[in-house]
Amino acid sequence: MNRRYSGLAALVAGLVVGATGAEPVAGPSFTAPEVRAILAHGPWPPPWQSDPSNRVSGQPASIAFGERLFNDPRLSRPGTIACASCHLPPRSFTDGLPRAHGLAATDRNTLGLANVRRQRWFGWDGANDNLWAQSLRPLLDPREMGGDLAHVAAVVRADADLRERYRESFGAPPSAADEPVAVDVAKALAAYQETLATGRTPFDEFRDALARGDDRGAARYPAPARRGLALFVGKGRCNVCHLGPDFTNGEFHDIGIPFFAGPGRVDAGRHEGVRRVRASRYNLLGPFNDDSTRQTATATRHVAAEHRNFGEFRVPSLRDVARTAPYMHNGSLATLRDVVRHYSELDEERLHADGEQILRPLRLTDAEIDDLVAFLESLSASQANSSTSRSR
Amino acid sequence: MDARARQVNAFPVAVAVGTLLLVAADASRACGEALRGTTGRAENARYEIVFAAVPAPLAAGKLFSLDLAVCPRGGAAAPNALAVDATMPEHRHGMNYRPTVVARGTGTYRADGLMFHMPGRWDLLFDLVTPAGTERLTATVLLE
Repeated sequence: MNRRYSGLAALVAGLVVGATGAEPVAGPSFTAPEVRAILAHGPWPPPWQSDPSNRVSGQPASIAFGERLFNDPRLSRPGTIACASCHLPPRSFTDGLPRAHGLAATDRNTLGLANVRRQRWFGWDGANDNLWAQSLRPLLDPREMGGDLAHVAAVVRADADLRERYRESFGAPPSAADEPVAVDVAKALAAYQETLATGRTPFDEFRDALARGDDRGAARYPAPARRGLALFVGKGRCNVCHLGPDFTNGEFHDIGIPFFAGPGRVDAGRHEGVRRVRASRYNLLGPFNDDSTRQTATATRHVAAEHRNFGEFRVPSLRDVARTAPYMHNGSLATLRDVVRHYSELDEERLHADGEQILRPLRLTDAEIDDLVAFLESLSASQANSSTSRSR
Repeated sequence: MDARARQVNAFPVAVAVGTLLLVAADASRACGEALRGTTGRAENARYEIVFAAVPAPLAAGKLFSLDLAVCPRGGAAAPNALAVDATMPEHRHGMNYRPTVVARGTGTYRADGLMFHMPGRWDLLFDLVTPAGTERLTATVLLE
């Protein structure tokens, strides 16, 4: 359909000025498919769903226990680094560094935790298929918190408050077996992180106004953001991968960011992630999944390893994206403007040498780059309504 | 695969608001009439495959299954097995998942573990293992 719509007015009897008498909406008009694409990015927030793989998901005592653990540096081997040391609430639970630095430097940018419960794969390479396994990973990584299963279990056993909170969450005091206690700690951490959600954004207000035919409400969306949105769902086709209410398809792509992690070292991305998630004792096919039906394990059961996965990284959500700089798996792009410029000037030869053929350089003007940045900034909630808020 | 087996049945597909509308199989056909919901079809001179997505409608980035019925035509032998896959020809990639297919008897199958991870044109590929060789039937799906 080539007929163009001027905002939502055209959705109601083809009027440019709505029945409310609002001023004509500034900015570009949208085609009917573009309107559908915009509506597909909501509604927000989504309804709560507990995680069947985690028996304490959504349990208030476990959420509180998890929050306590999240902020407890004793879980690291030297007692100096907590989860919250790198996942800072004002930065949408990122750290502002190009690459994370726990006990030592790592190769990847710290991912945010807001809306993390809605992911299918975790980490830049998807090496975990559930949030509790992903929560266990940094506790055991020598570059991050440097512990092991015995250390994690011992911290909980040795502290009266943690021991009581554990008993309250799991119905019995921590046992003498390290592994189940450490996995339970990870499940409490997951229960807390499931509550971290981004709030309503200027884009959500516009999207919902569009949905209900509210010209006046839609007109409040700034014109630059509106023009950027038109690029996002139009010329840029950004929504091919950044789709749905979370602005991600939850999968993995190569977007031309170098995968050299350092001299002589490469980050294989999803290629290694598939191998690791299949091999993990803590995946959803393993013995610690609390979902006895294993219906939660469908993706893990069927995930394919492909040569093209080399150098692919997870498509991140764009919600709260203005707070999560720097960007990309290696933190190599400092600002949203740098990100948009990257897509504008892609090296096509590098991209299509051996892989999927999706991206084309957008060749954006400076004004278009400004507009796309304005749109991306409209995907962040106000600070008062930001990711520190609880979804439950 | 012989020359005839290379025949591709591309389904024209209509897309409505938030809904994938496959060109419906002729309701009067016996093949796949027990399938629920909107169905699609792939066919050649010797076989017809009718399929229905579960859950429906399809959504980009969401795992789904297919219920399938395979119906031989003109005296063709029943297939020994069925494999299901999908590709996105314009993007030169397939799915990120490898479906499994389980026979449910009387020419019906269930395929689990499919995902179209982006909108656009997808080709569903059905490989029928028959006594005469493997035949590929194709159905095109346009996902908004």
